[in-house]
Amino acid sequence: MNLAVNSPWALSGLLLALLPLFNSGMRTSPAPWLTLMPGDKLSVFVICCLRLCAMAAIAGLVLGMAGLHRTEQSRERIGHGAHIVLLLDRSSSMDNTFAGRAPNGSDESKATAARRLLTDFVEQRQNDLIGVAEYSTSPLFVMPLTENKNAVQAAIAATATPALGFTHVSKGLGMAISFFEQQPVTGSRIVLLVSDGAAAIDHDSEVKLREWFRKQQVRLYWIFLRTANSPGIFDQPEDSRDDNAAAMPERYLHKFFLGLGSPYQAYEAESPDALKQAIADINRLENLPMHYVERIPKQDLSGTCYSIASLLLLVLLGVKFFEVKR
Amino acid sequence: MTETLHYRLPWQSSSVYPGAHPGQMIGAGQLFKRHEPLIASPDPRRIDLRASVLDPFSSYRVRVYQQQSSVNVYLIADMSASMGYADKQQTLLRFLLTAAASAFDYGDKFGFIGCTERIEHRWLLPAGQHFGRVSALATQLERLSFTGSANGLQNAVAFLPAERSLVFLLSDCHFPLPQLRAVLGSLQAHDVIPLVLWSQDEYAALPNWGLISFQDMENNATRTLFMRPALRQKIIAAYQQRQHDLKHLFRAFGCEPLFITEGYSTQAINRYLQQRTA
Repeated sequence: MNLAVNSPWALSGLLLALLPLFNSGMRTSPAPWLTLMPGDKLSVFVICCLRLCAMAAIAGLVLGMAGLHRTEQSRERIGHGAHIVLLLDRSSSMDNTFAGRAPNGSDESKATAARRLLTDFVEQRQNDLIGVAEYSTSPLFVMPLTENKNAVQAAIAATATPALGFTHVSKGLGMAISFFEQQPVTGSRIVLLVSDGAAAIDHDSEVKLREWFRKQQVRLYWIFLRTANSPGIFDQPEDSRDDNAAAMPERYLHKFFLGLGSPYQAYEAESPDALKQAIADINRLENLPMHYVERIPKQDLSGTCYSIASLLLLVLLGVKFFEVKR
Repeated sequence: MTETLHYRLPWQSSSVYPGAHPGQMIGAGQLFKRHEPLIASPDPRRIDLRASVLDPFSSYRVRVYQQQSSVNVYLIADMSASMGYADKQQTLLRFLLTAAASAFDYGDKFGFIGCTERIEHRWLLPAGQHFGRVSALATQLERLSFTGSANGLQNAVAFLPAERSLVFLLSDCHFPLPQLRAVLGSLQAHDVIPLVLWSQDEYAALPNWGLISFQDMENNATRTLFMRPALRQKIIAAYQQRQHDLKHLFRAFGCEPLFITEGYSTQAINRYLQQRTA
């Protein structure tokens, strides 16, 4: 409870809160001899309460004007979960259905299915820190690791905008890993790559990625949204001449991931149901205990002050109508 | 002023002036008092032959009669701030005029002693028989707004004559009982008729529910009460207890008070005066 005010000089108005002690604010009726009136504890109690109400109302208004707020705070929390970076492919082929056609009424596009299922996934992972990155021609920084699920879901929903051109997976991976820098190593760290295609990774990038994966202890999950009749991750080339990175980038990317030395799991999803199954697997697997610091933003309390003050003033107004003048 | 207070004395006035009340003087009257020798009362028309014959000294005995005498009537009025409540001041004025007119009807002298914090000369009216002075005083009183306490009551006796007079004590008795005891003690030489002036608004006419902030008229203290039926009953009970205490105290000094709570009525006072002499 770190309270602070915007304009401390306005707090001098708190002196006004003493006013009800000196003036009851009621119209007095003459009484010939008060000594004859019997003492009454309930009356004294009621009057004390009303005085306190009046003082609190004035104090509330003054604090409201001074701009009372609770400063930004951080709270350490422990939960089961992971740091997850969702790395989404924004190449234009994601806007097609699993059958490789433009989406019509019955089939949804791969991007829509991914969006829908990832939204559910985020919903279930309440204790996780989740970040979102995207890549296409170049990596897109969307949302750093945060516990704010609304923000993450909004970021996922933002992928509904039309997609871009190419698939530049190595830079995307680099950015996803950079999310873990300056984060404490607690729980598990996951990069969840959702893509429908792959691209060759040049040698320099390979070296760097190997180093980063080792340094940041990141697990990689690759959900490959396979379009019908396109080469898969696990396909063996029929012709040995086709066995190169340019012809079969998916296979070679998979091989590269296997050789990273960090835990890696690939899922090949050929339909929304398979995608769902893959996400459920990850959901089940990644539940290590972790502790993290939750940041609570600055909270403006002046609204609360005003509403309390107006409530009290309403009470006092009601009492005013209850007053008898003789 | 058509109404008259029919006050009667249960005692004999010592005044020498003829009037309307039983007196200690002998003279023209209807009531046989005693026999006197002719030399003391040289009125041959009243010689009582039978008494003269029976007199062992063979002197003439004369029948003498009690003379109806006048009496001095005083009104000692409490003029403290609490007497300014509701219609008490009007009641005081009405009673002043009624009592003065009645006294003059009887041929008695009427005097007024107004007591506030102390006794001021402008609120003193020596016993006399001029209605003009009384009404002039009444007009002055009408314009006055009462302030202060009723401490002057204790000094009122200094402005009363030495012989026994009829004293109307008009007050709301809103001061401590010891003070009242002192006042009554100082007035013991006189025939005191206490009239206690209360208003229904003070206690019985309070509302059943509500918040009332009372300000004492004399010391300006304030007290706020959360009125409810139980508290109203308590206040009424407190006033009844006060009435009981006052009656008790007045009776200890040989006078029965009249509580005027439901507005002024000369008839009610007359009824009380008749019970008093009966």
